Amino acid sequence: MTLAHIAATPTSPVLLAGLVTLCVVEVGLLAWALVDLYRRPSSQVSGGHKVPWLILCVLLQIVGPVIYLVAGRERPATARAGRLHADVPAPRPVGRPDAAAAADRLFAASAGGADPGASVSPSPSGAAIELRDVRKAFKGAVALDGLTLSVPHGSVYGFLGPNGAGKTTTLRILAGLARADAGTVRVLGRDVGDGADVRSLVGYLPDVPAFYRWMTAPEYLRFAGSLFGLSGEGLEDRVATALTLAGLSTTRTRIGGFSRGMKQRLGVAQALIHGPRLLLLDEPTSALDPIGRRDVLDMVASLRGRTTVFFSTHILADVERVCDTVAILDRGRVVTESGIDALRRSRGGISRLSIEVDDPGRLREALAGAPWVRSTQAGEGGTLLVTCDDVDAAQRELPALVGRLGLALRRFAVDELDLEDVFVDLLDGDHP
Amino acid sequence: MTGLAPFLHKEMRETLRTWRLWVLPGFLLFSAVSSPVVMYLTPTLLDRLGAAQQGFSITLPEPTALQSYIEYLGNLNELTLFALVIAYGGIVSGEVRGGTAALTLAKPLARAAFVIGKWLSQALVVVVGAALATLICALLTRLLFDAGPAARLAPAVSLWVAYALMLLAVLVLLSVELRAPAAASGAGVGTYAALLVLAQFDVTSRVTPAGLPAAGLAVVQGESAHWVGPLIATVVVGAACLVVAVLRFRRREI
Repeated sequence: MTLAHIAATPTSPVLLAGLVTLCVVEVGLLAWALVDLYRRPSSQVSGGHKVPWLILCVLLQIVGPVIYLVAGRERPATARAGRLHADVPAPRPVGRPDAAAAADRLFAASAGGADPGASVSPSPSGAAIELRDVRKAFKGAVALDGLTLSVPHGSVYGFLGPNGAGKTTTLRILAGLARADAGTVRVLGRDVGDGADVRSLVGYLPDVPAFYRWMTAPEYLRFAGSLFGLSGEGLEDRVATALTLAGLSTTRTRIGGFSRGMKQRLGVAQALIHGPRLLLLDEPTSALDPIGRRDVLDMVASLRGRTTVFFSTHILADVERVCDTVAILDRGRVVTESGIDALRRSRGGISRLSIEVDDPGRLREALAGAPWVRSTQAGEGGTLLVTCDDVDAAQRELPALVGRLGLALRRFAVDELDLEDVFVDLLDGDHP
Repeated sequence: MTGLAPFLHKEMRETLRTWRLWVLPGFLLFSAVSSPVVMYLTPTLLDRLGAAQQGFSITLPEPTALQSYIEYLGNLNELTLFALVIAYGGIVSGEVRGGTAALTLAKPLARAAFVIGKWLSQALVVVVGAALATLICALLTRLLFDAGPAARLAPAVSLWVAYALMLLAVLVLLSVELRAPAAASGAGVGTYAALLVLAQFDVTSRVTPAGLPAAGLAVVQGESAHWVGPLIATVVVGAACLVVAVLRFRRREI
């Protein structure tokens, strides 16, 4: 083939037009795909990563942009959620009685069916969790500093502490995701290092649960159940029950379109799919709105008496609402551990009284020398707040003192200390 | 390896339902279609476009089925392997970083099953994708040219598959060691480049995996190929990477 031959051949207008059209289409598609990829947030790109799509578009020439434009783009989660909510009522968890019934079904099935943990012997001490002198540090920063605690079987145990106290580290160690540098960690009578045996008995929900965005809720629960060795009709029954418990039975959208509250409820459901003997919940209500918080707490409350729940949080009201025992953690150590009522009472018998009289100033002066008074504080509208060591003495002597001073007693009440008072009282001195 | 079967099932479904399906098979398909078509059209295009030019001549040999196969293997060795390195850099670390691994590994799934499941699922994609792409390439080549040395294409592509699976194992190890997916991809590109350099030397191309791509090209051309040494080295390196990845991942905190 010579140039003379080529020169003698007229260029086909059809071929030229075809090539130009191909170039225009290719450049147009590439530009469209690249601009779309640039503007689109990663969360709305299939797979969540832009780089593979960029490479695909650039290297595959005309094919890459077409693949991206067809399969690589996802609708915004909010739009999907909006569509979902337009189709069906907003998904809500079942009410407390139904939740309890669903929890019953999950745990009854595990008791009667193949129980993966049947061979595990109970702890000699009867504790579901035993931590003894557990230490953990990250690059020199101490997270756990000789943590020791014992969680009784069947309790809903609150693990309370400020941010950075070591709660999440403790939960991760218990779940087998991290290792303690020193100390003993036993779950249901077994060392956590024993591996899958212990994990088959435990349900775990991290503080921010991350799911496969492409799955639906039933698909994720099926996957979770299959990892616990469940299959067939038994698995399907459990999936349906767990979905009912989480109020996600009617939800058909992918998890990528879920709200934070829906993800949290799905997180509880996946932790319960196998009817665990121990449920580890790491701040399950943090960052939820009040309704989402109530939903998750109702789910936890429905588990009372069915399994042991170890529940970390820094929200005191949540602990008061669902827990029967609490440990307060600070700087990697347990500051105190007891039942909630006992904890309130045990703070040296401290109580607070509020008394409303016509001259609170005179009463305050008169109380200055009383041995049972720790402090007094002026409240609103003539009310005097009295913190005392001996509530019985205060109840006997305070009205008598008012009488001796000739004051008019308008109101007298003993205020119960709430957990927040106890929490602040315990930790306040250590935190400047 | 507790939990391998359900985890592998999940991985395969993830491949089918996310971008993963499109990347490597997309490149394989592109190579399979473009190689024979480009070989077939190139002389005609040059002929037509050259007609407008004056003052020089181009003489091209008539394209053959063998050239189509060589072009296909060349595309596999360069474009597709590069795509594999970029796409699978975050094969383990992506899931750990994204938080999904924490929920999965808190269940009775062995760490070894997690690592092996990741590798196996994508190995399956490579094997099935390469088989389909090779079939398409062979059919298109037969349509445009003739069957040519089609019988030699299968062993040549098999050598490429072995090389790709070894590279995938290297990426799994890098992804276990390096927490950032981009860092793992970068290290993977470095490994790929290092293998290209090793392939330039006669000694290293005979006793390391680096010689396998060239051996595949020699096989398809019917030349004597030193493929045994590189193949053994590829299998050994791939297996070693997987073993080390499993051992390291078992120690890793999630």
